[in-house]
Amino acid sequence: MSRLWSLWSPGRARAGGLVVLAVAAWLLPYRLNIYWISVADTAILFALLAVGMGLVMGIAGQVNLAQIAFFGVGAYATAILTTRDGFGFWTAGALAMLAAVIAGLVVGLPALRIQSHYLGIVTLGLAVAFIDWITNAPITGGDSGISGIPTPPLFGIDLASQYLYYYLELIVFAGGLAFGLFIVRTPLGRRMRAMRDDPLAASAVGVEIRMLRMAAFVLASVYGGAAGVLYAGLVHYIAPETFSIADMFLLLAMVIIGGRQSLAGCVIGAIGLTVVQQELINLAAYAQLGYGLVVVAVVVFAPAGLVGIPGRAAAWYRRWRGHTGRAAALEPFRPLPAAPPSPGSAGGALLEVAGLVMRFRGVTAIDDVSLTVREGEILGIVGPNGSGKTTLFNVISGLYRPTAGTVSLGGRVISGAGPHRICQLGVARTFQHLRLFGNLTVADNMLVPLDRTRTWWSWRYIGWPPGVWRHDRELKWRAASLLGCFGLAQFAGLLPGSLPYGIQRRLELARAMASSPRLLLLDEPAAGLNGEERSQLAAIVRSIRDSGVTVVLIEHNMGLVMSLCERVIVLDSGTVIAEGVPAQVARDPAVLEAYLGKSALPAPHATEASP
Amino acid sequence: MQSFFQTLVSGLSFGAVYALVALGFSLVYRTMGLVNFAHGAVLMIGAYVASTFYLSARLPFAVAVPAAMIVTGAVGLVIERVLRPLENKDFDLMLIGTIGAGTVLDAVAILIWSSSGRGVPSPVQTAPFDIGGVRIPAYNVLVIGVTAAAMAVLTLFLQRTRHGAAMQAVAMDHEAATAVGIHVGRSNAISFAIGAALAALAGALVGPMLYVTPTMGDSLGIQGFAAAILGGFGSIPGAIVGGLGIGVIGSFAAQSFQGYSDLVTFVVFTVLVMIRPTGIFGERTVNRA
Repeated sequence: MSRLWSLWSPGRARAGGLVVLAVAAWLLPYRLNIYWISVADTAILFALLAVGMGLVMGIAGQVNLAQIAFFGVGAYATAILTTRDGFGFWTAGALAMLAAVIAGLVVGLPALRIQSHYLGIVTLGLAVAFIDWITNAPITGGDSGISGIPTPPLFGIDLASQYLYYYLELIVFAGGLAFGLFIVRTPLGRRMRAMRDDPLAASAVGVEIRMLRMAAFVLASVYGGAAGVLYAGLVHYIAPETFSIADMFLLLAMVIIGGRQSLAGCVIGAIGLTVVQQELINLAAYAQLGYGLVVVAVVVFAPAGLVGIPGRAAAWYRRWRGHTGRAAALEPFRPLPAAPPSPGSAGGALLEVAGLVMRFRGVTAIDDVSLTVREGEILGIVGPNGSGKTTLFNVISGLYRPTAGTVSLGGRVISGAGPHRICQLGVARTFQHLRLFGNLTVADNMLVPLDRTRTWWSWRYIGWPPGVWRHDRELKWRAASLLGCFGLAQFAGLLPGSLPYGIQRRLELARAMASSPRLLLLDEPAAGLNGEERSQLAAIVRSIRDSGVTVVLIEHNMGLVMSLCERVIVLDSGTVIAEGVPAQVARDPAVLEAYLGKSALPAPHATEASP
Repeated sequence: MQSFFQTLVSGLSFGAVYALVALGFSLVYRTMGLVNFAHGAVLMIGAYVASTFYLSARLPFAVAVPAAMIVTGAVGLVIERVLRPLENKDFDLMLIGTIGAGTVLDAVAILIWSSSGRGVPSPVQTAPFDIGGVRIPAYNVLVIGVTAAAMAVLTLFLQRTRHGAAMQAVAMDHEAATAVGIHVGRSNAISFAIGAALAALAGALVGPMLYVTPTMGDSLGIQGFAAAILGGFGSIPGAIVGGLGIGVIGSFAAQSFQGYSDLVTFVVFTVLVMIRPTGIFGERTVNRA
């Protein structure tokens, strides 16, 4: 018995559950009458649509209220190409998928500029535009729709039978779900989840936000289009009423009730709501009332949907029992391997900022700043609050486009390039107020910047999936080793929000290092740290420098700046007022004036000038 | 030329209604940072309640409309109270919560008034004004006048009253507002209720111009929302300009493209928003790292 028990693991349990579900789904038609098999056929189509919705909304965080239009494009294109142009069903289906992908690109286009509720209304508006077109255009048959869509031929299998069609749908659905899950667990999906949690931080670790948003919409449209093609072949007749805004909201309700951030949740929601709707077909208004109320209740009480409830219940049970697991502990930092000194480049200019000006409307945050960061140094940037330090970092890392002036890295102008591009060129940063990916585990937070491939690399998901899998395994191995270096190995499976502040700070530093930068920008890395953590930080920063990375840090803690930095630049009101070795800068009259005001000038104790 | 002005007048009348809808959206967005997707459904409920008071209870139109505004104001209070736990936390979830609330209201309307619609006779029987061959129905003038009056009252409320000032403060920084003793929840509730009352006003006014059905809120809500974004979300002058803009675009689209007016309106809207996401009067926000 104990031998048997030792075979149990969450992964095996999940695999076992999947096998049981697959067998049950395969045997299901034997238990269903003709009415319920048609319900099952509809449920699978909704599940396919819901997986697409889950990918774009739950995983990539893009509000998409046009999924029903992708469904419609797939169905109408199939219908038009088969009945009017005489194409065979499968040729028409393939072209219809292409049409759906184009629709996905069109609907995704606004996401490049707008997000959240704006994106919601634009995608909903485009869905309304599509519905308007199908109800009016002669080619779509207007209100009366298109009939006479042929049954898809398949090696002599009679797909006119709803029972056999079920198996066709089931196979397509299983493939779609498996592909979706593969994406979610591998680099592409991880990037999407990072983008969902914090697009700004994601772009700063090298994620190509625009490409990824388009990819998310294309994925959604592929699932929508596939469901549309299958729907056309199933019912042989389509009309605008199937593609209404009410159906869009029903689909949304399925995804929300099931759990938008989990593809399994989306599927459960779709199948559950389809069945409930069929049960209440004569009480449609009550059904609508019911699912509307459930949606409201879910968003308020169980935002993760039905699939999130067991986890919450388990956590509640553990608290109630007073059961606590072994607490994960921070391990000491293991110095990074030191880089061999390269005589040629050491001391040369790595980053050059020339004549930089940054204005926000009337406010000039940076006013003609020029400075040089030398290869292999630790440079401190200090200055009173509001002196433009963080703005300078934001310009260097590409979050802002400077009003005038240039930033160049190793002789190459980088100002004006996007943050992801600048990260790819070797600049990493941390943020003054932590910006970790809140719904990604500590390990996933590291995996996003570790992956240095471009978004185009993702063609392998279709072309060569084992390559993706191998790449992912290698990334995970490297993440584990880097987490070990930073002493964070025991936290790998936890969410950052559950960790103490000092550990989150260290994680953000580790995440920045994961992109293998040449230049590391640290924005107030010691803020909120206690004395011991501060000295650990100093050791880590020195080790990072010794491994060949140049470090620039903004810091208010003068003790740290004095002990750590080899050179200090002082900013005040957006201009450089002093530059030099720490001890010399601390005695500079201009610096004293900036920090303490003119009247305090004769003050003799200046070395601990802390704002 | 004459038909051009005729189309323009019709566009402006609908535009006035869209402006009212946009105003409700903007008011709630200003104070809570929330887009109320149930706004269209509230409008539809307002149209039904007003028409029921007007037709069945035989109240004068001028009484039926404020009565409907009070009813939907109460509905707004309920929605706000239910979704309050999510305020200032997760905007996407709140957005979906309001869609759910809208679904509930749609279902309630079907259960009470059935899914078939009803026509509402115009409360104004005066002959249309004739200006240089352009016929302007008296009711449309009334709609534009009431809209202008509502705008003026709302602006005064926000600028001159204590509650209005509190709502502005919450809009700017809800934490700071709490710190100076403003009850943020109550302030949000008031703005939600006013937004809902404005929706009822729009619904009641548009009833005689259209047909009152349980789905009327979908289209009007989306158009009003588009108007709010076009003008600059959260801006009161923006709501007016955006509303009139969407009304005129829709009116000319309906004349030139017949049935395809929704298609043209939303494609034009999408392009405009992509060119200028902050709308005409919107403020540009800067990402803070």
